[in-house]
Amino acid sequence: MKNSTVIKIPSHAKYLCVVRSVTEKMGELYGMTAPEIEDVKLAVDEACANAIKHACKGNEELIISVKYNLKRKGFEVVIDDSGQKARPDAIKGRDLDDVRPGGLGVHLIKRVFDVFAFDEKKKNGNRLRLVRHRRINPPEADKSS
Amino acid sequence: MKIEIKNYKGSKVVAPDGEIDMYSSPELRNALMTLINKKTKTLYIDFKDVTYMDSSGIATFVEGLKTMKAYGGRLKLIGLSEGIMEIFRFSKLDNIFEIFGNIEDALNN
Repeated sequence: MKNSTVIKIPSHAKYLCVVRSVTEKMGELYGMTAPEIEDVKLAVDEACANAIKHACKGNEELIISVKYNLKRKGFEVVIDDSGQKARPDAIKGRDLDDVRPGGLGVHLIKRVFDVFAFDEKKKNGNRLRLVRHRRINPPEADKSS
Repeated sequence: MKIEIKNYKGSKVVAPDGEIDMYSSPELRNALMTLINKKTKTLYIDFKDVTYMDSSGIATFVEGLKTMKAYGGRLKLIGLSEGIMEIFRFSKLDNIFEIFGNIEDALNN
């Protein structure tokens, strides 16, 4: 199964609710559980928020595209922006034992997605690819034993 | 997101209603810091009507907590949903914040 949907939003935080709504619906179409959907929604929100804040620097003229690919093996989200190029080696998130505001976004994304990869081939701006592999539900316990 | 600030048994309670994200968290921060700048001794945050929160919301509360601790103030969080509680656990903030199931428990603590 492969289905794709793309949304494009101006680089402004007020549109994050749109991204969350679409992410929620795509998760439902993919057959995710409710808790999974909430986790994925948060992670995609964080990724887009990072693009708005760090790449596009809040320039509303720039557009961020979010593409959802529902594949047999996994739920893929590709986030494209035309802002300042990120330095993937510098994107780590803070040490969780160092309690201070900020620095949690990357952790919240990696907690949910199995693949977190920037496409180095993209010349202008960034392309972040997130993939959550399809979870296989454990079989029900043998009721005869 | 709407923010209600109310008095309950002589204590200040901040009750956000809706989603806390990068767009709405500055408004929440302003509301919190207005009270914190007055050196409010104990501030209660009622999460009953918060339907979503991302890391910008967490950052707002971490900042509030750090500022309050500097003058001996206390920030108490009430009624977190399981989803939001899970984010606090994952971020190792469940041991940093005072978290209660309801306001009476928070008041009595």
